[in-house]
Amino acid sequence: MDSIISVRNVTYEYKEDETVYAAVRNLSLEIERGSFTVILGHNGSGKSTLAKMLNGLNKPTSGDVLVDGINTRDEKTEIEIKRKVGMVFQNPDNQIIASIVEEDVAFGPENLGIAPAEIRLRVDEALKAVDMYEFKNSTPHHLSGGQKQRIAIAGIIAMESECLVLDEPTAMLDPKGRAEIIDTLHRLNREKGITVVLITHYMEEAENADRVIVMNDGGIIADALPEIIFSDVEMLKSVGLDVPQTAELLYRLKKIGFAVDTHALSVSGAAGEIIKALNSEEK
Amino acid sequence: MAVLEVKNLTHTYSGNTPFINDAVSRVSFSAEKGEIIGIIGHTGSGKSTLVQHLNGLLKPTEGEIFVDGANIWDNPKEIRKIRSKVGLVFQYPEYQLFEETVYADIAFGPKNMGLEGDELKKRVLETCELIGVKGEYLEKSPFDLSGGEKRRVAIAGVMAMRPEVIVFDEPTAGLDPGGRENVMKIIHDYRAATGATVIIISHSMEDMALLADRLLVMNKGRLEMFDTTENVFKNGGRLREIGLNVPIVTQVFYELKKSGVPVPDDVFTVSRAVEALKAIKAGEKYA
Amino acid sequence: MLKDITFGQYYDSRSLLHRTDPRLKIFLLILLIVFIFIANNAFSLGFGTLSVISVMLVSKIPFKLYLKNMKAILPVLIFTGVINLFYGSGEELLSIWRLSITTGGVYRAVFMAVRITLLIFLSSALTYTTTPNDLTDAIESLLSPLKFIGLKSAVHTLAMMMTIALRFIPTLIEEAEKIMNAQKARGADLENGRLTERVKALIPILIPLLVSSVRRAYELAEAMECRCYNGGEGRTRMKQMRMAAGDYGVLAAALIICGGITALNILL
Repeated sequence: MDSIISVRNVTYEYKEDETVYAAVRNLSLEIERGSFTVILGHNGSGKSTLAKMLNGLNKPTSGDVLVDGINTRDEKTEIEIKRKVGMVFQNPDNQIIASIVEEDVAFGPENLGIAPAEIRLRVDEALKAVDMYEFKNSTPHHLSGGQKQRIAIAGIIAMESECLVLDEPTAMLDPKGRAEIIDTLHRLNREKGITVVLITHYMEEAENADRVIVMNDGGIIADALPEIIFSDVEMLKSVGLDVPQTAELLYRLKKIGFAVDTHALSVSGAAGEIIKALNSEEK
Repeated sequence: MAVLEVKNLTHTYSGNTPFINDAVSRVSFSAEKGEIIGIIGHTGSGKSTLVQHLNGLLKPTEGEIFVDGANIWDNPKEIRKIRSKVGLVFQYPEYQLFEETVYADIAFGPKNMGLEGDELKKRVLETCELIGVKGEYLEKSPFDLSGGEKRRVAIAGVMAMRPEVIVFDEPTAGLDPGGRENVMKIIHDYRAATGATVIIISHSMEDMALLADRLLVMNKGRLEMFDTTENVFKNGGRLREIGLNVPIVTQVFYELKKSGVPVPDDVFTVSRAVEALKAIKAGEKYA
Repeated sequence: MLKDITFGQYYDSRSLLHRTDPRLKIFLLILLIVFIFIANNAFSLGFGTLSVISVMLVSKIPFKLYLKNMKAILPVLIFTGVINLFYGSGEELLSIWRLSITTGGVYRAVFMAVRITLLIFLSSALTYTTTPNDLTDAIESLLSPLKFIGLKSAVHTLAMMMTIALRFIPTLIEEAEKIMNAQKARGADLENGRLTERVKALIPILIPLLVSSVRRAYELAEAMECRCYNGGEGRTRMKQMRMAAGDYGVLAAALIICGGITALNILL
């Protein structure tokens, strides 16, 4: 596997009131280049701490995180690692620096010392990639939450990051904004080959991922295809996660003797399974 | 008699601002004692503007609001008294915490109502017991609590005023599933204990299906529908037209119906769905 | 609305002045103000007035917006006018108690009022045609000579602070409104009571606002770090300020105005 990020035996500890807690314990993980990975977990499961270690914002207490083979502990390459692995956070208001959309997108490339003409090209292209080009001269304050988050994503794309790590980017958005962000991420992954690591507690957002990782108590407790994870209703409930209604329905039908495949998660897929089960009953 | 009645409420914001237009136009509805009303509508449909009228934070451009039969703007100087009758919990209410202790923060509302001494203390402790704020938290700083606990304390601050009508603007926004469940339980417990009317703005049709007796649908500042949850969700086509939807399980049942399965059209929760399918499987009417 | 404060003054009417280099605009504003105060007779000040009116016409900003800015300054205008009225020499027109209004005083008062009005109009022309961001960048650029005396990072820090302040003022105003409403919903009384009570009533608003600002600052710092921010060192800018043909035209026009005022001062 061609890994863009390797997490090796990482533990992250923090101190509060003289007691040491481990937010992440002895965790190992490989993120494949070009993949779309979703990390699920309830608040306090260690998922945000892990996210911040992926670009060196947090340094592990023990163990190593390698980005393209470079250790995030190396201070000389700190900027390079942050360029390669861009981050988007939860609150759209607290990550926009400039009062004009295009100037905000330019912030990263400007910090990297890119030539002005090249920045102009990158900013325009990045704004088109997230479908926000027509808002380039707007003031972010007047945009919706979903639009602001897309600006934040454009700011990362303009740095030509290879990997995008998003820490609950949709938690503060309405359903429309959430759908916009998830669609944008899938498009960037497909069309630009950008590696996506999406951290969330919304199940539905994991539906089309290549891989879903479930975290609990600082460790990984499941790592599989989305349909496998979703059909494990008991495991999801045990770690305080929601189950999509389709998965819950199929799970409960199976329990009372319906011959349904619990891996079908879309609305039409679930309906199809139910019809199949009813027909087989008929025969 | 309706505990809350809104008549022809219109609110226009002055000037033409470039902001999302959140105005409200000619909205009328009433709420009975003890019922749960869900308000749905996409962002900018006027939901937030509407609820800020219910406790007199906004003054209607036109129309009236009656609480317990009295027009709340009859005496504008007394408008503060309405705030203890109609409690309003804003989005992310934890951002309103400011006192040194959890106890003092919860006491802020009742104190503003004029409660003091033993009465005040009793009120705060009762509220804490009602919604499960543990005793050992009371002397802690609210800023030391976790996100979900902060939200619970902030909600307690409004509940401690014992409003007859309590309005929540997306009370579970930004919480994880455990936190969401907690907030829903608090709301349920408060109603059970006080018989209050509850009004909830939410984007989750699944939550609405479980909770609401009636649904009020807002679209572009107008009242689109106001009916029982069942009747509103039966109108899935119209909901989709205005950018909303029905619960996922109901969508599955539409598909089943399209394929000729004789399913009932009042399935909005997973439990009801399982029941219905069980009946069909048992051979009732399935061709 | 209060929230619009950062963009508040900017009015997008796409005139020649909007396209003018903001550094040049700041420089010319100072230059023209100096000359308007140098104008010492009715002809040169009249010429200055006509020039300012032309600037206002070129800006394509509705005249009533200029007047709106005058309203705020009106008390100052009246005050200076009245003071000047009694302060002068010449033929006595009217005498009140020990003060007397003279022709010289009237002359001075009118002159002062006209000058202040023109000053406001000119500054408004700058703020209406320039975005706050461009103003910030222009100030950073105009202060850049300070870099040679070892203040490079100070200039950059100042400009970055202004950028962030402009970006967050509307956010914080909106947040203050939200918190105020939330506390009012809990029965807080912000409107009535004695001064001390009203000051005390601000605590439930200021503390949450402070707590949230600290959190925002912390998160913003992390976001900036994630976007490779490392101070001003090695940083480039997407928008380069460069004098264009139109800018030289504007400069020439301004110099003609200054020349005209000087000539009328001397000749008449």
